[in-house]
Amino acid sequence: MSETWLIYLGFAAGLLAVGLYTLLTMRNVIKLFIGIEVVSKGVSLVLLSTGYARAHILLAQSLVITFIVVEVSLVATALALIINIYKHTNSLDVRRLTKLRG
Amino acid sequence: MTGHIALLCGIVLFCILAVLAKDLIKAAISLAVASLLLGILFFLMGAPFAGVFEISVVAGLITVLFMLTIALTKTEGEVRESKTVKIVFPLFFVAFLVIDILVMKGLLPKIQALAGPAESGTFGDVLWKQRTFDLVGQLAVILAGVFAVLALFRKRDKDE
Repeated sequence: MSETWLIYLGFAAGLLAVGLYTLLTMRNVIKLFIGIEVVSKGVSLVLLSTGYARAHILLAQSLVITFIVVEVSLVATALALIINIYKHTNSLDVRRLTKLRG
Repeated sequence: MTGHIALLCGIVLFCILAVLAKDLIKAAISLAVASLLLGILFFLMGAPFAGVFEISVVAGLITVLFMLTIALTKTEGEVRESKTVKIVFPLFFVAFLVIDILVMKGLLPKIQALAGPAESGTFGDVLWKQRTFDLVGQLAVILAGVFAVLALFRKRDKDE
């Protein structure tokens, strides 16, 4: 366990904290999704820095690429959902979603 | 190492800006800058392919998708966030980091690293030969995303 790896893990924890705080406190749906994006940046940083510290950078790189592909698919679906939510409620406020029925 | 730490600080700062910015366009641009810095960091760590993906796909494509969504959902009255959000943030951030560091210090030495052979070959060898199943999974995820978007944007029949 190297000191360098711990520094990367600390910064990744910082990104996780920022993302989690957004998810817990914000009301705008797009802001919530930006929070998810920030968390995903922390995850990619952990994956690649672990590979870097353990001298398995090629494997870490392929895992990060897989993660990015999954992330893009998630973003496309979630943003389409956000547009649909906006069409239904005419607002981006997440509290309006509690009034959805059936 | 100093360059790495400077980039890491930049990434965290721009992510905080993205979260706390009132204007959604500014938030999306800050997120794109954070992705760009992360991509540069990947290059410096010796992972050029991951860096290219991060910069072109996350900083480019995802930012465009965000901008498109923000443009399509323009509302006159913006969503009002709670006033305490910006005040509580530094406290939450520091508390989370302190707890995280304490937990990691206790937990990480107990985790044994799996013994494995040293890496050999090129990135292509690892991606195509060792992680073949991941590529099949990626195809499935992309198809699932395409079908989900098509389903969400399909035109509804009159009687529906």
